Amino acid sequence: MSKLVLKFENSVLKEVPVGTSEVSIGRSPENGLVIDNPAVSHYHARVFQEEGRLMLEDFGSLNGTFVNGQRVKMVTLKPGDSVMVGKHTIVVTESREASGGLVTWHGEARPAAPKINETVMLDTKARRDFLEQVAAGGESSQIAPARVKVATLVVRSGRTDRKEYALSDKLTVVGKSAMATVKLKGWFAPKAAAQISRREGNEYYLGAADKVPSVNGTPISHPTKLEAGDVIAVAGIEMEFVYRD
Amino acid sequence: MRLFGGAEATADSEKRMAIEIEFGARSDVGCVRENNEDNYRVAPEINLFVLSDGMGGLASGEIASRLTVDTVVKHCGEAAANPSLRLVGARIDGASEASNRLASAIRLANEAVYGAAKQNGNDGRMGATLAAVRFQGERMTVAHVGDSRIYRLRGGNLEQLTRDHSFVAEQVHRGRMTAEEASSSALQSVLIRAIGIEADVDVDVNEELLVEGDTVLVCSDGLTRELSDEQIAGVLEESEDPQQAADSLVQLAKQAGGGDNVTVIVVRWAPKPAGTLARIGKWFRDSG
Repeated sequence: MSKLVLKFENSVLKEVPVGTSEVSIGRSPENGLVIDNPAVSHYHARVFQEEGRLMLEDFGSLNGTFVNGQRVKMVTLKPGDSVMVGKHTIVVTESREASGGLVTWHGEARPAAPKINETVMLDTKARRDFLEQVAAGGESSQIAPARVKVATLVVRSGRTDRKEYALSDKLTVVGKSAMATVKLKGWFAPKAAAQISRREGNEYYLGAADKVPSVNGTPISHPTKLEAGDVIAVAGIEMEFVYRD
Repeated sequence: MRLFGGAEATADSEKRMAIEIEFGARSDVGCVRENNEDNYRVAPEINLFVLSDGMGGLASGEIASRLTVDTVVKHCGEAAANPSLRLVGARIDGASEASNRLASAIRLANEAVYGAAKQNGNDGRMGATLAAVRFQGERMTVAHVGDSRIYRLRGGNLEQLTRDHSFVAEQVHRGRMTAEEASSSALQSVLIRAIGIEADVDVDVNEELLVEGDTVLVCSDGLTRELSDEQIAGVLEESEDPQQAADSLVQLAKQAGGGDNVTVIVVRWAPKPAGTLARIGKWFRDSG
């Protein structure tokens, strides 16, 4: 159990235990540790527990908060650390005694400052439930449905080597290059006019390459998900995106 | 830093082209955190660039992310020398060999971190995100698990190529939340997929075509929590070279607050045509 010992020029003024809740520090009487001195901001800083560590956070105070001589914004505190707030010093000590310090405080007197977002994992059960909902909820399922529909491009106009193309690859290129599935005819056809990426859940995204394709008449500004019936126009050809059995 | 990869022969009239990849990378602890739990590796000899953002208390995040990137690079390196090396996990239909190999490497990394977590204490849990790109001719494999991202700058547009494996991103995708709501949501750091948390992982692997001048950015969320897409695109466009871009992005992120570790890898793909015919046939972009 950690304790904050408030000192002024070697005199101990008071001690405050740090339990599971935070200890706010400042001039205002609502704080857990009140330091009544003009060099201290009303809401100056706070000390709190995070994942078993003792943390100190400065609230953007005017004169700053210093740990072992260095000005800090947010740091971990260790026993023995010396925190300077204005002209006062707070020493962090480890205490073996049960809680019950000289100062009691009653929860949050002010809304807690937002904590920095730590990345966390949704716990296993919650995650599995969520993913099941997502899968059951709609058309984009990661599990292939019993009757598989094949995404297909049907050429409506323009010169290509075939009239229909099944989109079975992760990447489909429209153009003249050796990599192209939808091969454009014509001397001036671009090597790679556009591309279609098959992503998770069998969703197909149309992207620009040397040219910017249009979907239903509108040029795309970023990789765009294709829906059944969408008409793609690029490099002089028009194709419809459909699902075939 | 520049280097030449292997020559790619194409069946049409273009001559052989030397593939030129320029890259730069930077990782920084940021302004708030005590230690850097991000790790990255560049392996240009196998055209592979990978980063990982670790999670878990007491420095286990750093262990997780280091193990992740090292395992991925090692497996891909071994396979480059020995292509008949067994793939870990099921083959992805319609995906290239390089894509399947990267997916295999990521599954192996998951096994490694999951196994190490059990021995590490901290309640047996440690995890990491992953974002990786691998270049093969004009095809780029894009792979990720978690909320580290891959972007592409093409024709002045910054395109996000990955969808975060996070609770809020999934909600946005399903139309249950707007992007604005997601970015201010208290739940925005909650992941639904990560490396090392379960015995198996669903790797999100996709393929993209490469166009000359493409700039690819692989980054941890420490960058995108501080900077807007416009700021990022601006830096990528205005920087002299990828290393300068990487350094500038990190510096800007720190100036904006640096609330988390920030890691970026910037790769520019610019094939240099070797033959006369290829020099005459220039790439250009216009609408329609």
